[in-house]
This record gives sequence, C-alpha cells and structure tokens, in this order.
Amino acid sequence: MSTSTQIGGNLLTNGLLVAVVALVHIQIAAFLIGASTMAIVSETVSLVRRNRDERHDRLAHGLIKSSIFIFGFGSALAIFFVMFVLTGVWGKFFVSLQQITFWVFFLEGITFLFEIVLIYTLYANWQRLGEHRKARLGMLILLNVVQWWQMFFIDIVASFMVTPNGGDVNILNLILNPTSIVLTAHRTLGNIAWAGAAVALVSGVQYLRVTRRLETVRRTAPATAAAASVGAMAASAAGSEPPEAREARYWDWAGQWGAVFAVGLTLLQPWVGYEYAKEIQLHAYPAWFNMMFGDLSNVFLVQITLLGSIFTLGAAYFWRRMKASGAPHARRQGVVTAMLAFVTLFAALPAWFAPTYADVVTAHLDRPFWQGGLLNPFGNFIPYKVGALFAMVMLALWSLTAYMRANSRDELQAGRVGRRSAVILIGLGATVSVMMMVMGVIREHARQPYLISGELTINNQQILNNQPSAVGGSSGVTDR
Amino acid sequence: MNAFRTLLHPSRVVTVPLRNAYRWFDERTGITQLVHKGLYEAVPHSGGWAYTLGSATLVLILLQLFSGIFLLLDYVPSVEEAWQSLHFLQAQDAFGNWVRGLHLWGAYTLILVIGLHALRTFLSASYKRPRELNWMSGALLFFLVLGLAITGAMLPWDNAAYWTATVVTNILHYFPLIGDGLRQLWRGGTFVGPITLTRTFALHVWVLPFVLFAFIGAHLYLLRRHGEFGAWVNYNTETDDPDKEIGERIRNAEPPYPTKRIERRYAAPKRTVDFFPDQLFKDTAVSVGLVAIIFIAGLIFGATLDEPADSATLTYVPTPEWFYLPLDQFLVLTPHDPLIAVGIFVIVLAGAAAFFLLPFLDRSRERRPTRRPEVLVPALFMIFAVIFLAVLGVNRLYNL
Ligand code: HEM
Repeated sequence: MSTSTQIGGNLLTNGLLVAVVALVHIQIAAFLIGASTMAIVSETVSLVRRNRDERHDRLAHGLIKSSIFIFGFGSALAIFFVMFVLTGVWGKFFVSLQQITFWVFFLEGITFLFEIVLIYTLYANWQRLGEHRKARLGMLILLNVVQWWQMFFIDIVASFMVTPNGGDVNILNLILNPTSIVLTAHRTLGNIAWAGAAVALVSGVQYLRVTRRLETVRRTAPATAAAASVGAMAASAAGSEPPEAREARYWDWAGQWGAVFAVGLTLLQPWVGYEYAKEIQLHAYPAWFNMMFGDLSNVFLVQITLLGSIFTLGAAYFWRRMKASGAPHARRQGVVTAMLAFVTLFAALPAWFAPTYADVVTAHLDRPFWQGGLLNPFGNFIPYKVGALFAMVMLALWSLTAYMRANSRDELQAGRVGRRSAVILIGLGATVSVMMMVMGVIREHARQPYLISGELTINNQQILNNQPSAVGGSSGVTDR
Repeated sequence: MNAFRTLLHPSRVVTVPLRNAYRWFDERTGITQLVHKGLYEAVPHSGGWAYTLGSATLVLILLQLFSGIFLLLDYVPSVEEAWQSLHFLQAQDAFGNWVRGLHLWGAYTLILVIGLHALRTFLSASYKRPRELNWMSGALLFFLVLGLAITGAMLPWDNAAYWTATVVTNILHYFPLIGDGLRQLWRGGTFVGPITLTRTFALHVWVLPFVLFAFIGAHLYLLRRHGEFGAWVNYNTETDDPDKEIGERIRNAEPPYPTKRIERRYAAPKRTVDFFPDQLFKDTAVSVGLVAIIFIAGLIFGATLDEPADSATLTYVPTPEWFYLPLDQFLVLTPHDPLIAVGIFVIVLAGAAAFFLLPFLDRSRERRPTRRPEVLVPALFMIFAVIFLAVLGVNRLYNL
C-alpha cells in the first residue's frame, strides 16, 4: 500500500480490507462466468459428437456444482463488500459513483435476479434436465449471457474510473469510454482462462490424490505389480481395473482441457493488454506513467514474468503429456518449453535498477549500466519487451496447436501422465490466480491518488470522511 | 387449318414467330446447350445455404458495376469538379443520393459477404487439392475488392477522400528502398494533387475492374472444372466397407464428379442436388435479400459528402473506412517509424501471404475442422485479432 498520498483512517480498513475483499470477489466472479462458458463448450462438444461420452457431462455438472457453492459464498462477500466496505468506509466515493452510473448499477442488479433463477434451476435439476440436453444447454447459454452482461455493466463502471474522459456522464459516453470495450475483452478472455486454470488446479490435486490411492490398491494386490509406473497402471487393461484407474483417467482428461483453456485464452491477452495500456496512455496518462515508469513499474515486471510462466508451464505440461503417451513430436514440445522459459527471463529484465525511473534521474545515473549508470537498455519496452511478448505468444501458439494436433490424431492417452505433471497443472492454476491478484493491485493503484481518474481523489474522500460535519447526519451521504 | 388453330389460340400470333426466332438463334449460337450446361450441375446435397455466398458475392459485384455506371454519368475526375459533380448529383438529380448510397452500401455489404465466403471455404477446407487455385484466385479477388474499396473512397475529393488519399499513398513510402518512388508514382508528384485523383480514378474504374473480372472468370471456370466441393459432411461413409462405398459413389456420380481422381475419399459426394432449381433457388433468395437490404440502406442512409477537400484544414480529423480499421488500429499500436515498417510490411504482408498461400501451408488430407487444429487454432487467433482491432478502432474513433 502506497503511503505517498495521505490516506487518513487506518490502513487496515481503508486499504487492506478493500484490497482483500475486492481481489477475492474478482476471483469468484471471474470463475463463475468462465465456468459457465466451459460448461457450454463441454456440453456442445458432447452434443455435436453424439457419442454420449459421460466425461463431458461430468465436467459440466462439476462446473455448475462448484459454481453454486462459490456463488453462495460470493454473494455473501459481495453484500459485505457493498454494505460495509464501499458504503461504510468509502461512502462519499461510492455514492458519487452510484449517482453517475445509476442506470448501469440498476441493470447490474437485475442481472443478479436472472442469474439466481438460472443457476439454482440448473443446479437443482441437472440430472432431470439431462433428458432434454438441448434445453439444458440453452439454459446454460442464457446463464452465460446474463453473467456476461453483468460483467459488462460493472466493467463500464470500472473503466470509467480509470478513463472518465473528462467526466462526461451521459450514458453513451459511459458505455463507450475509452477503456470499457478493451477491459471487457480483457476480462472476457481472462475469466475463461481462469476457469480453465481452476479446473487444471483441481484436476491436478485430484489426480495426485487418486493416483496415490491407486498405488496403495496396487500394492495390496500384487498380481498387477508388473506395470512400471503409476501412470501406466492407470492406463492398464480395463478388465481388472479398480475404480481409481477410471478416476485417474477422468482427472487427467479434465486437467488437460483446463490447461488448454488457460493457455489458449491467455494467448490473446498480451495483445489485448497492450491495447489496454495504450488507451490508458492516451486517456489517463498519469496512471500509465505510474504503471510504466513509477511505483508500479517493477510490479509490472512481476506481471510479465507471471505471464511467461503461464505459457511455460502450459507448454511444459503439454510436453510431458505428449511424452507420456509416446506421441510423435513430443521432443519439439520440450524445445519450445525451454525457449519459452528463456524468453520469459528475457522479458523480465528490468529497464532500470531502481524502484522508479525518477529515482534514476534524480541520482543522475540515467545512462547504461556499462557506463556506470542504472539503466538497462535491453529491458526497454520498445523494441525488446514487445519483441519478447511477440515471441512468447508465437511459441505458446505453436505449443498449443501442436498439442491440439496430437489430440485430434488420437495420439494422446488419458491416465498415463506422471504425478509431476499434475504438479505442473497445480502450478499453472496457482500462477493464473496470482496473476489476477497482481493485476488487481496494479489496476487499483495505477490511478492514485485518484479514485476516479482526474476527478475524485482519495484525499477528497478521506477529508470528507474525516470531517464528521461533511457526512454527518443522514443527509451527508445523499447530498451531491 | 393453321388459321383455324390461330383462331382457337390467339396467343399463337405471338408465340409462333417467337419460337421460330429462338430456333434460328439457337441453331447459330447453341444457346440452349449452353444454358443446360450452366444450369444442370450436380451440387453436394448438404450445406446448400452456405454455398450461396459465392454467387451472392458475384451478384453484389454486378450491382456495383450497375450503380457505378450511373455514378459515371455525372462524376468528373478532376480536383476542381469531382466534389461539385457529386454535390450536383446528390442535390439536383432525381435519386442521386440513392445511387450514391447504393454504391456505398453495396461496397460495404460486398466486403462483408466476400469475407464470409472466404471464411466458409476455409472452414470446409474447400481449398485442398485439387482446388488450390480456386482459393488463390479467390484470395486475389479479395485483395482486388479491398483495392477497389480504398480507391473508391478517394474519388469524392471531399475532406474524407483527400485525407484518405494522403494517408494511403503515404503508406507506400515505408516500403524499403523503392517506397518513395512508389509513393511518387501514385501521387504523380511529391504531394497529393490533381494527378493523384486522375490516377486513382483510372485504377478504380479501369485497371482494377478489368483484372477483377478476368479473375472472376478464372475463379468460375475452376469452380466448374472441379465441381463444388461443399463440405466434409457430404463425404462421410456409412457402411462397413468405406472403400467399396466410395467406389460406388464415384461410379454413379454425374459429371463433373468424380473430379480428376486425385483425392478418392473426396472425389464424389454421397448425395447431390441439381444446381437448377435446388441450389439456384437458395442462391437467388440470399442475393435478392442482400440486394433488398442494400436498396433500403442506400435509400435511408444515402452516402455522406464532407466539405470539399482542404489541404490546409486544422480542424478536420481524418477517420478511416471501417474495413481498414484493423490496420489503422494496428498502426496506432506501432508508433515508431521502424515499427510501422515492421508492422505493415512484415506482419501484415506475412498475414496476407499466409492467406494467399493457405493451400500450401495446410497440406494434410483432413477436411473436418476438428481434425485440423493446426490451421484452425492459428486462424481463430488471427480472426479474433482482426475483429478485436476493428472494435477497438470504433471505440477509439468515438473518443477522438
Ligand atoms: C469476387 C469475388 C468472388 C466471387 C465472385 C466468387 C464466386 C464464387 C462462386 C460463385 C463459388 C461457388 C459457390 C460457393 O461455393 O459459394 C465460389 C467457390 C469458391 N470460392 Fe469464391 N468467389 C469470390 C471470392 C473468393 C475468395 C475471396 C475466396 C477465398 C480466399 C474464394 C474461394 C473459393 C473457393 C475455395 C471455392 C470452392 C468452394 C467449394 O468448392 O466448396 N472465393 N466462388
């Protein structure tokens, strides 16, 4: 938490609480939208193929079941967030925002009504609706559409806070503010990638759990001990196979799709993120400066490292899984993984060895390190980081495509992969989660000291909060 | 006797001479045979609505030709009079604004439909052996249509046209070595001026259409040579002995199936329909629908004419045509000179080359989309990027 601006009150309630609640809230909300998208894809594939593969149904059902629990918790958290944090601690700001974006919030509220009806209906009647799969798919799609609009409405508010574009509050300007579309694209992709990552994470954990049990089962029944590895055991003939073997195959299968979604949708993010940063540069320059040259510049490096790690972990997992199945070209995947790791390290190079660029300038050390300065030209965004990002995306695209190709040629077998690959999946899931949090921190910090860029500052908010007369009584909150 | 018949059927006064005239004509030209050849062709049974996009493209191009002729009746290709002549057309001529609207909305729809046509032939893998040249001639047609669209946008010589001309001709100079020469050639000087307009006019009205129609001829000839491939759904085998089944299909197929026995599996579809009336009905329905939409859009929205071109204006903000928004937005992202050159000439040209050379990049025998992730995944990635750039371009223009 930056203390460069005078934040009154105490750090716990004003900074940390908001941060923690908001970050958890975003993880939850993003998962819900992504989960319904994944469920739709899974159901559609199963319907189109007409092969009645019950794994698809199980995945979709699992996603909806987890959605219910997470939605329940998320709603409670959201109520807490709005009632105690936003109105309680940040009242002045939140009421101003409410008034500016009244209709957007109004519509946002309505989407929740629809979401509740749809999500509980699906949950409570999943099996029964299984007899009308197309209708069930239709409901899933409807749920997804409702959730998407829910996100879009809140994105209008969130993007307006970064780029209010002169604070013009007519509804069209609100909706089309310079970063609303790009933020929506960024989050749409991010949600699905995150749901994929979460599936990968859970599947990784389950795979570890199931294969451990399988090991025990096999040890107590020595007749089948001939199989060399756990993976090979899971894939062994179905005749005498314990139920754990089937479970292991399922979680391996599900984890793979989680990874494909996580990598596949993240592939587009550098592109979208670059656009996003560009719009911020054009319309909220101080925030952009803060991100690129100021306090957040090093956090930004963390972000690039995490991004590269997602691609590298994904490629590593694809490589291991192809190798375990003896697929041709598995070695090439290994090479791509190594190249991704290298590019990630290169992209993570700092452009200056100091907290901010200003520090370098004030110390009169703004020359390359080989001339005794603190600058590292190889860390410059243009052309090096852009080049590295481009290379990263191309390599990851190659890796994903090669994996999908192997899959389409039936070269992959479920349940063969080693336990360490499951750990990679868990790492992938965790990395995406951490990346979302770092992103949230950057987002909320970039525009400091403003809450609404160029319009409403933290200090306004704080001063008003600290003067009982300004918000005192019941009228303080509602007067403009 | 004849007179009696004529009394019974008075219409024979007309029909008999007409029929005789037709016979005379047919004897000399073979028109009946030609029409038969044109109409009775086997088209794969499933997916017919998707196969209407090619003929819709053709119809829209003919509509452009038609409305273009009407525009030529008034338009004068000189910097002094271009704007005036269109202003006159719009303000004084009956239906003048409608005709401009037709040409404009026709062009927009054409670009959309040709894109969809390319997308459908991509998804159905129609570009695979032996139809590689169908695809490549089509890709050239696509570039030509884009060229027509951008040269057309320069002709009204209003502010929008003038600045489009300035920006577009300027792109050439980023080309290494010969860039400046190319720009000079198109502009007819260092700066955009009178010669730029006449050269652009010549391109738009003579050069590009000439090449366009030549390639349309080639495209359609190739279509008839190999027959409509359609889509993979028409080639599934249903029996336990796929080889025998395919053999039977090939034996029973009517011309032009089987094609030159190159790809046995995909030589003949399991069921076909006649082009006339089955496919032609669908083609007509789609084309008529599109033309109707264009007529209505042209009538309601017409076409705008900005202030006359003013090279000294300080207030005019140039905005690109929507179909160039992806490229424009891409350039916004590449602010530095060397990057612009890389952006346009490496990335965009590489993309265009990949599009053109697709049949040689994707050489597998697979035709089902799910079996071709190696082309589908990168293509989806690219399609998303282009659409996304366009949407952001709109958003950016709104906030200018
Ligand atoms: C002036 C523009 C064009 C015209 C008038 C045109 C016309 C046609 C027509 C009438 C057909 C047969 C009906 C159909 O399959 O839709 C066809 C087929 C085809 N076109 Fe085009 N087309 C044009 C542009 C393109 C473009 C841009 C591409 C791709 C880059 C393309 C690739 C193909 C291919 C591969 C086929 C064969 C389809 C099959 O056999 O399944 N065409 N075209």
